Amino acid sequence: MRALQGLPGPRAPSLPLLLLCFLAAVRRSVEHGLSTAAPFTSLPVQEEITMTKYSNLSLESHNISVTAAPFTSLPVQEEITTTKYSNLSLESHNISMTAMPMKENNKGNQICVDRGIMLQRNVTLEHSNMTVEKNITLERPSNVELTCQFTTSGDLNSVNVTWKKGDTLLEDNYLVNATGSILYTQYRVTVIDSKQMGSYSCFFGEKKQQKGTFNLKVPEINGKNKPLITYVGDSVVLMCKCQDCLPLNWTWYSVNGSVQVPIGVPVNDKYVISGKHANETSLKIMQLSEDDQGTYWCHAIFELGESEGHVELVVLSYLVPLKAFGAIVAEVVLLVTIILLFEMYTQKKKKPSDDGKEFEQGEELKLDDSNGIENSGPRHRKNESVGQ
Amino acid sequence: MALLANILAWEIPWTVGPGPISSVLVNKYGSRPVVMVGGLLCCLGMVSASYSTNVVELYLTMGFICGLGLAFNLQPALTIVGKYFYKKRPVANGLAMAGSPVFLSTLAPFNQFLFNTYGWKGSFMILGGLLLNCCVAGALMRPVEPKASTESKNKVGVRETDSSMEKRPKKLSIWEKINKYLDFSLFKHRGFLIYLSGNVIMFLGFFAPVIFLAPYAKDKGIDEYSAAFLLSVMAFVDMFARPSVGLIANSKLIRPRIQYFFSFAVMFTGICHLLCPLAEDYTSLVVYAVFFGLGFGSVSSVLFETLMDLVGAQRFSSAVGLVTVVECCPVLLGPPLAGKLVDETGQYKYMYLACGAIVVLASVWLLIGNAINYRLLAREKKKNIHTKESQETEPLKTSQSPNVNIKSGETETWKGTEVNPSERETNI
Repeated sequence: MRALQGLPGPRAPSLPLLLLCFLAAVRRSVEHGLSTAAPFTSLPVQEEITMTKYSNLSLESHNISVTAAPFTSLPVQEEITTTKYSNLSLESHNISMTAMPMKENNKGNQICVDRGIMLQRNVTLEHSNMTVEKNITLERPSNVELTCQFTTSGDLNSVNVTWKKGDTLLEDNYLVNATGSILYTQYRVTVIDSKQMGSYSCFFGEKKQQKGTFNLKVPEINGKNKPLITYVGDSVVLMCKCQDCLPLNWTWYSVNGSVQVPIGVPVNDKYVISGKHANETSLKIMQLSEDDQGTYWCHAIFELGESEGHVELVVLSYLVPLKAFGAIVAEVVLLVTIILLFEMYTQKKKKPSDDGKEFEQGEELKLDDSNGIENSGPRHRKNESVGQ
Repeated sequence: MALLANILAWEIPWTVGPGPISSVLVNKYGSRPVVMVGGLLCCLGMVSASYSTNVVELYLTMGFICGLGLAFNLQPALTIVGKYFYKKRPVANGLAMAGSPVFLSTLAPFNQFLFNTYGWKGSFMILGGLLLNCCVAGALMRPVEPKASTESKNKVGVRETDSSMEKRPKKLSIWEKINKYLDFSLFKHRGFLIYLSGNVIMFLGFFAPVIFLAPYAKDKGIDEYSAAFLLSVMAFVDMFARPSVGLIANSKLIRPRIQYFFSFAVMFTGICHLLCPLAEDYTSLVVYAVFFGLGFGSVSSVLFETLMDLVGAQRFSSAVGLVTVVECCPVLLGPPLAGKLVDETGQYKYMYLACGAIVVLASVWLLIGNAINYRLLAREKKKNIHTKESQETEPLKTSQSPNVNIKSGETETWKGTEVNPSERETNI
């Protein structure tokens, strides 16, 4: 769909600053742009991000709204509302909006607002970048709709709107619509393979550009963060899984030097690749040896690209803990020997004069406290016990 | 995971179950050999666990062998404290019991480190080696009196013991033969029965709050690490509480009334649990953990001291064997029942209230029981003083340490002419 509506043009000679805008041509994205907002008042920026999603093949639409608002440099407020609805959903897409983009959005919220006075504009230039980002996870081919909203109290027609994929300017497939004080622009793309994945950005304005970015990515794979410790001769199972995704295929690679070598290509007994569910894969390695140590990568292949995770394997030989164990055993044996020798030595010393010394501690206590011999005593005494 | 919990759960009875076995062995062979064998068994169990390939083997090695070894360590260690010390026995008991929280707090991060460096196999092996240090502890347990010296010149008392024993008929009934090894006649001992019953009630609600502290904190919305930190706080306070409470228990004021002190310590712990549901945020939970550590420590430190106090060092080894085997039921049943209560009501606070109520009930029972016991003992002692005046008294008997109070001993000990340290203990 192509529509170019209401392209902001240098229409209002009364806004001298807007003369600085030139029409959309190849434009290098300059984030430290010059201000293009309305002159008199400094506009605080307010942002809204709304996302609507609906799918027929599967159509997803995502909105970023970028708003310029008056006066002092206000921290930007963001609202994010998501609405999802599907008519013919063939599959369910979970757009994982992680906290990360939120924070990044907050970063971009530090809008240093244009004070509107020409003199000051130069001063505030370096603060005028404004970036809002959103990560979108795509697994299957879909129609994707990206919408940016721009709110300003100035003249909407004078605001220049462009779309870029990465650094490449996009010429068509987007429409611009102005309603009241909100400027909408929407970009549609049909994502079929990995070529259409990437970062799409909408730009408002010329010099002082407000930018919103959509990052289209394949789902992430979780391997394991901590290394797995195993021993020579053991077998181990390495697992990779992704949250809610169904890859077409899984492959495993081991790293040899800096080259990834596929595993299991000549099918042998040592490696068994299997997976209980589609969203996980496991690699079972038997008869581990120290050569098997290292990092293993699992690749998940989607129609729209590849994603990978990694697991680190450490193979120790039995000698490693055995050394520690041996050290402890040696220490124990040493201590026991010392103690027993010391005891024999002091007893030999005691022998000649053992009368008085036997009753050192709580003398009466020790008298017939020897462990086995006098036990018959209390038993006998018990026989006479009157009872309690 | 459930299987693992089962293994650990089954290990506990194997630690306390073989109590009577080790009591018998201690009675026969003394503390030192039993502890050294126990240490070797523990090490063997752990090392063979590291080579196990399935859960059953793990159960056999860690559960059975290791549990047996640990039981062989527990009994003699407690017994030997009673044999070495008298005047400062409460302090000694407190210090001896202080070992557990020290290792509880250090072993958790240490285990993590071992696991990350050596994997589980290596960790088991190294832990087995560490358990071998029990043998060092056993080597230190010098037999109180080497057998040779009984033939050497002794003070009067022992000679009289021998001579009086010879006068008795040599024939022993079956029951007496059994009692030689394991003193079942303790079940006729009033103080012992009060202690046992009170403890059984107490242990029903004693361990569950410890086990559920971290889940309770997580349930309140506290993150994992802070919740685990609560346990560390408790262990840390426990570490210092045990010896200090031992010191307090040793004082002239408390020691004669150490049974009351024990009941009050139990009551303090119970009240802590009852007040726990009031703790809503993290700070108040930390305060609860501190007080709980205090309570737990004070109960643990005088737990065996009171038993020694009641039955005397001589019969202590059998007593502790019997006590542990009977107590193993409530210890096992308590946490699962508490867990069931949590599942049924959906809230932890009822579990804490129930545990607190049970523990307070146990303390009241102990208090009343011991009050009665003390009265009866005082009465018996008065009776004995009258009868004793007509008998000769050995000098040794009268030379009691000042800390020992004047309350009477068990009837039987005064009747006999033998000098026996147990009589002094039962005096209290």
